[in-house]
Amino acid sequence: MSRVPLSIKVNGEELELMVEPHWTLLEVLREELDLTGTKEGCGEGVCGACTVLLEGEPIRACLTLALEVQGMSVTTVEGLAGEKTLDPLQESFIRHGAVQCGFCTPGMIMAAKALLLKNPCPQEEEIRRAISGNICRCTGYAKIVEAIAAAAPQCNSSIRGPLQGPGEEPT
Amino acid sequence: MRLPRFQYLEPRELEEALEMRDLYGARSAVLAGGTDLLVRMKQRLMGPAFLISLRNLKELVGIRMEGKELVIGAGTPLQEVSRSPLVQHHFPALAEAVQAVGAYSIQQVRGTIGGNLCQDTRCLFYNQSAFWRSGRQACHKAGGKICYAREGSDRCRSTNQSDGATALMALQARVTLRNSQGHRDLSLEELFTMKGETPLDLAPNEILTQIRLPMERPGRASTYERIAYRSAIDFPVASAAVWLESERGTVSKARIAVGCMGNAPLLILQAGESLEGRPLEDTQALAKAARIAMDQASAFAVENVGATVEYRVEMVSVLVERALHRAAARAAEAKGKEHA
Repeated sequence: MSRVPLSIKVNGEELELMVEPHWTLLEVLREELDLTGTKEGCGEGVCGACTVLLEGEPIRACLTLALEVQGMSVTTVEGLAGEKTLDPLQESFIRHGAVQCGFCTPGMIMAAKALLLKNPCPQEEEIRRAISGNICRCTGYAKIVEAIAAAAPQCNSSIRGPLQGPGEEPT
Repeated sequence: MRLPRFQYLEPRELEEALEMRDLYGARSAVLAGGTDLLVRMKQRLMGPAFLISLRNLKELVGIRMEGKELVIGAGTPLQEVSRSPLVQHHFPALAEAVQAVGAYSIQQVRGTIGGNLCQDTRCLFYNQSAFWRSGRQACHKAGGKICYAREGSDRCRSTNQSDGATALMALQARVTLRNSQGHRDLSLEELFTMKGETPLDLAPNEILTQIRLPMERPGRASTYERIAYRSAIDFPVASAAVWLESERGTVSKARIAVGCMGNAPLLILQAGESLEGRPLEDTQALAKAARIAMDQASAFAVENVGATVEYRVEMVSVLVERALHRAAARAAEAKGKEHA
């Protein structure tokens, strides 16, 4: 079967690609564009490792056909950092040790990013709900929730981990 | 996991999509959110030669009042349904059910209400990878003659685990199925065939376009309850939706639907009838109705969705009772407001 054209914006860059109809967005990102930050975990929508933002909303790249996002804008974890600086969310994950094996991290960060884009001062409950579709088998989630809360430092979050003791300057 | 090859079709309008359904029939499948269909295709449970994408069909998206009905376009994303003030206010059971589907970051954004209602029945012995299934003979649902869920069963015992379908059953929903010649208008009781092999009365040339709910009046209330292993990204192992109509503090009509027990959400008429004429606060009557629902549902359940069948059946009574308590409180409250 022949390839068909796909116009798509990835991390701010307009792209014209030729794709097979049965390719998922995940396959196009990882294999055509070498954006391997987005991971494939289960491949059936259960684990959240492949979460990317489609027009700012979190979606499963493994269950989205590439052709279904024709003309739309996709943000992957590679699109968050500046040239020399990380996104505050990424900084926060590092500072709080919210990463162990790291496989869930890109999906976790994208799900959290989607939350913070809409709700800059989320409550713990809202954070937990936002990442409820993402499975982490190492951390037990506590550090991840702390890291996300701390990425919104202007909000006087009530969620405190050891790194956010009294008197500490927010980064 | 890779998808099998297919031809991707993107009709610009519904008429065009229906012509494609006419032309390709059983060799085609309709792609809405894809969160259920694409998983089945990856597992090689389905291999349509043609995928008809609904993504350009804006006429299938939206929620509006039409006469005395609330009309929900089948392609409306789940999150739009659960956030709709009309749904939240008049059909809380549906809002609660839809909110429980999958996880916000996936199914809620991509999944649609039509897809949720039409999702295929499931079974631990069927919804597995092609490799897993290759070690055994095909079961009834896969075209064979064996049932692994219940020994000796002469038919498929796969289970309907749709949250939306159970709520819509209690809410007396009707659906519109279109084909290129016209349309059919079915109640949910008619849409579900009660056959595990082919759970929906949806012809290969048809597309589900609308879900319609009779508008509620004060004194009516609905709720949805479910139990799953985890609160997100999981199908329920038992669920219940109830709808109550009350007059002067007395139940005049009740509909009790139980999910995850049979090939379709089960409408337990006898449980509903047992409540008629009972005061809303008659907790014994509520408990009795819940037990009737449990007894009747227990005849359908087999051990094929995770928890033991004994536990799931027991939970039917718990969930129906919880749902009834909340619905009775809701109905009483709505009545109170009306008098104020």
